[in-house]
Amino acid sequence: MSEAGIAGLGAYAPRLRIAAEEFEKAWGTFEAAGVDTKAVPEGDEDALTMGVEAAHRALSAAGTDGSQVSHLTFATTTPPIAEADLTARLASILGTPEDVQTQTVTGSTRAGAQALATALAAGPWDDGVGLVIVSDCPRGEPDSAIEHAAGAGAGALVVDDGAPGVVVETGSHVEPYPGTRFRQSGDDQTSGLGVTQYDRQAFTTALSGAVDSVGFTPDDVDAVALQSPDGKLPYRATGALGVDAETIAAGETVSTLGDTGAASVFLGAATAFEDGAERVMIAAYGSGAGATVAVVDGPVPVNCALAGDTDLTYPEYLRRRGEITSDEPEGGGAYVSVPSWQRTIPQRHRLVAGECPACGALNLPPGGACSGCNTTQEYKQVRLPGTGTVEAVTTIAQGGAPPEFVEQQSRSGPFVSAIVALDGPGARTVSVPTQVLDSEHDITVGTAVETTIRRIYTQEGVTRYGFKARVVG
Amino acid sequence: MRDAYIIGAGQTLFGAMPDESYRSLFTQAFETAKNSVPAGIDNEDVDEAVVGSLGVGGRQLGLSGPAVTEHAGLHGIPSSRIENACAASGYAVRQAVQAVKSGMADIAIGGGVELMTDLSADVTKYWLGVSGETEWERLTGTTFSGVYAQMASAYLNTYDATTEHLSMVAVKNHANGAQNPKAHLGFECSMADAANAPTVADPLTLYHCCPTSDGAAVAIVAGENVVAEYTDDPIRVAGVGAASERVGLFERDSYTAISSSETAAQQAYRQAGIGPEELDFAEVHDCFAIAELLAYEDLGLCGRGEAAHLLDNGVTDPDGDLPVNTSGGLKSKGHPIGATGAGQITEAFEQLSGEAGDRQVTEPRYGLTHNVGGSGGSAVVHVLEREVAR
Repeated sequence: MSEAGIAGLGAYAPRLRIAAEEFEKAWGTFEAAGVDTKAVPEGDEDALTMGVEAAHRALSAAGTDGSQVSHLTFATTTPPIAEADLTARLASILGTPEDVQTQTVTGSTRAGAQALATALAAGPWDDGVGLVIVSDCPRGEPDSAIEHAAGAGAGALVVDDGAPGVVVETGSHVEPYPGTRFRQSGDDQTSGLGVTQYDRQAFTTALSGAVDSVGFTPDDVDAVALQSPDGKLPYRATGALGVDAETIAAGETVSTLGDTGAASVFLGAATAFEDGAERVMIAAYGSGAGATVAVVDGPVPVNCALAGDTDLTYPEYLRRRGEITSDEPEGGGAYVSVPSWQRTIPQRHRLVAGECPACGALNLPPGGACSGCNTTQEYKQVRLPGTGTVEAVTTIAQGGAPPEFVEQQSRSGPFVSAIVALDGPGARTVSVPTQVLDSEHDITVGTAVETTIRRIYTQEGVTRYGFKARVVG
Repeated sequence: MRDAYIIGAGQTLFGAMPDESYRSLFTQAFETAKNSVPAGIDNEDVDEAVVGSLGVGGRQLGLSGPAVTEHAGLHGIPSSRIENACAASGYAVRQAVQAVKSGMADIAIGGGVELMTDLSADVTKYWLGVSGETEWERLTGTTFSGVYAQMASAYLNTYDATTEHLSMVAVKNHANGAQNPKAHLGFECSMADAANAPTVADPLTLYHCCPTSDGAAVAIVAGENVVAEYTDDPIRVAGVGAASERVGLFERDSYTAISSSETAAQQAYRQAGIGPEELDFAEVHDCFAIAELLAYEDLGLCGRGEAAHLLDNGVTDPDGDLPVNTSGGLKSKGHPIGATGAGQITEAFEQLSGEAGDRQVTEPRYGLTHNVGGSGGSAVVHVLEREVAR
């Protein structure tokens, strides 16, 4: 049996960016050293949706798909909900077998590295692959260094036997250092006491302990993907880790994406491998404190989507964050009960259409008489690839949204709602209504789109995730 | 089957009326309708009532039919509510016509009522799309303005028409509504007003969208066996057509035509034994400006893609060959959902009876009303005929 290794790495960051100067204009100062720009989740993005983006890319890089996943781990410090197993929805969205083993790891920014270590030990992978999804979008008080640094992004890894990415060493270390970075139960903002020297000591002690535990000096790695709560702290650890600043810089994303929490080290590793690194050390740190390190001999196939394409002003940023926006008005949204939503999940998550055995027409949603021949049939289930073409389109302006979409509009502005003809087998199409992302693009009849997963809305405390379209290319 | 006649019809003011309840509004409309019957009518003569309504206070309410007829002094008769979104009272009138034609009633009333302005602006939007395909269409963040805007995008992409034509509909219907003392938005607007108004759902601006209104309307339908007791100027229901279409726009074969309207119109013309060229005026369902363009084509007033030509040539202006929406339409007269269809019948009745005042079309014989539910999920068309030659 060959060792379990990393077969593919995926990386995703929201396309929205805000520059440090925007904070300086607003606050007179910017508290996150070494961060030039950072990624900001769109109003309908969260740790789950970003994780899906990264997972699809990792599976694609590894040359496999969701149906091969037998072990799924979701690691995040910012789960969109505190209780309720989100891995079931991830498994559904990714189309894994229903007997997939799943777990969630959370609690510190080391969660992703912990998840990786667990997955590596969970083989053998002779019948399926492991998928580790690490996604984070931390937040802090608006005037805090944590919030100024807080970015967003997700990494994902496919674990398989005999994979091109060989994990040559792993190690970890824990040592109690309370108070460096924490979030109280029920709070959505992370804070810290800000005791500078103490924080640095916790960071370097835990990391050097993890390195020491495996007894090697990481002097022959091309890059260290080091935990980066800001752009300065990692470089304080050069001495403790025995690496130079250049090696740390080769595995960093904090300067462009901000503090991506648990995803930080995986985004760094993906970037390093994409840039041609052959040996990368992942060095994750979690407050509390603990560190996990792993050295990966590559090259590892990667699929990264880390480019930004829209710059926000600070007020736009506050809107995206929901700091200055209104919630759904009382008493007015069109009601779709959770059970009736649940019955449509195969369509919302995976575009499962019904093919009519009598006339061949595709039906989405697949229920009731066939749209092609008006007869009642037992449809054959067909999963659509998600590409399509806009057939009719409008931009819903301020004031045109129904109450349950007022919050989305308040955060993200006018949105595009369209009818899209989704491609099916045999050149057939089926038309569905969907929002189209990236409304600043010119989206007209004929625009080519592909589907992704976003939050549709939240009612009764339950977030509904479903497909939306975005412009191809 | 025997013939049915409209012997009276009336509506309340359409607008925001915080002093009125849904029951008092219906009663007002019924009294106005009674007063329009040339020889008068007693409450005891009414055998049945059908009442169109979407809801009350922003919500479903059981037994709103008996609740309004009891208030109007029609205690005891069979009374039921019909819900077909914005086509509710067009269908209520059709049901009354069926009751009379079948012989089950000699006199039936078909009407409707809606109270929409007693809610916050945000919650009012609940109404504007909740009749649609909620689980899919609505969850892309659309109300009906969004769905009709999608139709507009497809139409403008397919045919030789521009957003200017949308504004022309608004300008024409506001000019008509300015002549109607019952109109909600009875003022004129300019092409610039319409074009520069805030966008609601691109390409539709605020002036391309109808308002939400309070109001009620009632039509009184009589059988041919009794019509002479009430009038010597009978307005015959020459043709009725009705049809349904897939509720969600995305489920349809075409986004640039409403097949339910087309089918309903063809039925109504066939029954009436006329074609659209014999119409003297039409009240069409212009909930959004694009809907009036679609209506021209669905009702056969012109060929596919030719709606803009009718507007360019003033054909549907008050002094054109075929005036459309002399009442101001939904755009200017207002759109109290459940009352709209019966309100259209009221305008047609007044026009054919020569009682339309400043809006009067010259000696009309045939008039058409066209009432659509949602984005076309239901449609009903009536062709009315003045039997007595002037």
